[in-house]
Amino acid sequence: MHLTTLHQGPARRSLAAAALAAGALALASCATKPPATDADAVQDYEQTNDPLEPTNRFFYRVDDSLDRYTLKPLAEGYIFVVPSPVRTGLHNALANLTSPVLFADDVSQANPQHAGDTFMRFVINSTIGGAGVFDVAKGFGYPAHDTNFGITLGLWGVPTGPFLYLPFVGPSSPRALVGRGADTVLDPFTWVPRGYGLKTLNWARYGVGIVDERATYMGDIDHVKASALDPYATFRSLYRQNINSQVEAAKHPAPTTTPSWGTQPAP
Amino acid sequence: MRLMPTRRKILCLAAATCALAVAGIAPASAQNAGADAFIRNFATDLVAIVNGPEPAAQKKAALGPVIGRDVDVSGVARFCLGRFWSTATPEQQAEYTKLFQQVLLNQISGHLGDYRGVSYVLTGDTPQGSNTLVGTTITRPNQQPINVQWVVGSVGGTPKVVDVIAEGTSMRITQRSDYASYLGQHGDRIDALIAALHRQLDNSAS
Repeated sequence: MHLTTLHQGPARRSLAAAALAAGALALASCATKPPATDADAVQDYEQTNDPLEPTNRFFYRVDDSLDRYTLKPLAEGYIFVVPSPVRTGLHNALANLTSPVLFADDVSQANPQHAGDTFMRFVINSTIGGAGVFDVAKGFGYPAHDTNFGITLGLWGVPTGPFLYLPFVGPSSPRALVGRGADTVLDPFTWVPRGYGLKTLNWARYGVGIVDERATYMGDIDHVKASALDPYATFRSLYRQNINSQVEAAKHPAPTTTPSWGTQPAP
Repeated sequence: MRLMPTRRKILCLAAATCALAVAGIAPASAQNAGADAFIRNFATDLVAIVNGPEPAAQKKAALGPVIGRDVDVSGVARFCLGRFWSTATPEQQAEYTKLFQQVLLNQISGHLGDYRGVSYVLTGDTPQGSNTLVGTTITRPNQQPINVQWVVGSVGGTPKVVDVIAEGTSMRITQRSDYASYLGQHGDRIDALIAALHRQLDNSAS
């Protein structure tokens, strides 16, 4: 799983705590279901599947303020100070570190094509790609892709559950949270022994990852905030549509191809 | 941990908005080949404008007629209002549709205005009910390629773009969700939505 995995780095305990707090708070305030006589409104309510909307909106506002006064200025500074090729290299290197988790996710989705791509990308980019800084593998025919264990669960038929907006996490769902937990367990970096500076490395990777991601989507995020009448609802809709489309795509993996230099099996 | 709202998932939105900038909605039964040719023509016109050297205002002026010609703007507008369309008065419907047209053009030109060196390739088409989904991959310099599907329907016998789906997110569904939520927060009053659209246009003009 691409950069999203980064965000499950060292701060995962506080993340879990935040999720718990959100759950507790959510219980305290629920959106009111419209009366059954208003069929259209009931349909809207069910499609949106956001029974915790008041709580979610509260956390969205908190997140939005944090972003406005901390993360966004930081990301703007990063874009201003660091030249584009360096940012791309750093982005590639961070993405490369998520390859082991991505590989496990590809396997869990029974997608040999993606798993092979991920494996070859990790081998090629970690070596001749200079520790992942240069995406050489793409030119060799191993393009990048992204997925996570939440998508695997969707593929296995686990329903997504109600919409959640969590502080420091963003749009989510019970299924996505379980997926995050699984990806954390699958990430070898979770299990490296303390010491040897690895903890520091993990934190650095995590911190830079956040800024990198914010910088990458700077224009898109700002565009939604500027153009949507209700940015919260727009992010919610985009998030859910995107997740659903990823699950649908996972159901139809590209057929495995035989290398052209290999012996073609008889039909 | 992720501080921002959507992030990667939102990329789609970006894609959606940019492509969305080019979206529309309406149903139809075009021949796939016809839909392909229609989208090739439409996309070629768009890309020529976007990649041109003109300033943003001029590009916006040039985009207007192309979008008016190939996008079912009034159909999209009606879809985006959802169940509220039938509760709106004819005057409200007319005003909303007029505003939506400008909002759509602003979004498209606002998003595409800064781009240069955009190119696309057609990736095939699939029938979807009475519509045809025409796939494209859009490439921009220093950006990941975006998969955009154009939903082509037939409006009065003419092919029109009725929706744009970027990385799995539909422009018209996202927009409808935004309006429905705004209306829900404002007592389902269409006038409140119309006032908000006016404000949005005033802000973008200033």
